[in-house]
Amino acid sequence: MLIPIIGLAIGVVVGIVSGMVFPAGYSAYVAMGILACLDSVIGGVYANLQGKFQGKIFSTGLFFNGIFAMALIWLGNQLSIDLSLAAVVVYGSRMFNNFSRIRIFLLNKEKKEIMIDSE
Amino acid sequence: MTKHQYSIALTATCVLLGVIIGVQYNTVKQQRLSTDNQRLSEVTLALNQAQQERDALQKQNEKLEKTLKEYEEGTYGGADMEELWAFAGLTSISGEGVIVTMNDSSTNLGGDRNAYLVHAEDLLAVVNELNGAGAEAVSINGQRMVGKSAITCAGSIVMVNGVRVAAPFEIKAVGDPAVLDSALHFPGGVVDNLSPWGIEISVSQQSVVTVPAYTQTALYKDMEEEE
Repeated sequence: MLIPIIGLAIGVVVGIVSGMVFPAGYSAYVAMGILACLDSVIGGVYANLQGKFQGKIFSTGLFFNGIFAMALIWLGNQLSIDLSLAAVVVYGSRMFNNFSRIRIFLLNKEKKEIMIDSE
Repeated sequence: MTKHQYSIALTATCVLLGVIIGVQYNTVKQQRLSTDNQRLSEVTLALNQAQQERDALQKQNEKLEKTLKEYEEGTYGGADMEELWAFAGLTSISGEGVIVTMNDSSTNLGGDRNAYLVHAEDLLAVVNELNGAGAEAVSINGQRMVGKSAITCAGSIVMVNGVRVAAPFEIKAVGDPAVLDSALHFPGGVVDNLSPWGIEISVSQQSVVTVPAYTQTALYKDMEEEE
């Protein structure tokens, strides 16, 4: 559980220190990629807690959700509709759902452990 | 196996996510900086433009003031500026003259009701006679007659210089009172023509008559100067 968080922190530091910059105009796409990534990670954590984690599902979800979200933004740009809102809303609500599920799962687990201890 | 797979995949994704977030952070920071710079250069450009415009206008203003001074000091065909102003009707003039008052007829002998009213044509005839008799300045109800002046009919009222005026009309004229008076009263003249209809017209000779200046602004937008 701790290793991914450490990895995240290292990644952020590396990204900032590298001083690299995305080409202008791709900001919206990158932001959407970040959102898709976050969603996949949180979904992966939840799946793992349930013991249902599957590498294939995780990796395909990560790539195809990201690509689909970016495609949606591209289409929105062509039609001058801000379709990124749709992706933001869906990813946002999914992330919150998964996060609260993880929280509840952990709380229940703790309760069970207490129960086991008391037995 | 699943646990191991999970750790690798999740960690790798997290590192990737971290790098993207970091680079995006840099990007957004730089963009904000560059938009600030853009705004600054835009404003600077606008300021420069405004300053140039102001300088040009100042120069123009100086030039025009110089020209105006030349005009004020100069003479034109033997007449100085003040005489030209008076000629154009832009100054009020007082001197001996006549005051002609005209009002609609109070009698009605039958026939067309319109015949008993003072019309634009009647005013025009009076002004014409006064000018013909050498009046130096003429005004109708405070409207100075100048070169551009028009006396037109506008339904139940009369328009003079584009301003509505109504009966009773008071026509002031500066000039020789005796000459002006007789110009209106000669047999078959203006007064004679109007008297059958009962239209009230009286001429009084005055030692001091004041005719106001032309106050409208003349716009010469279609005029082109010819050298």
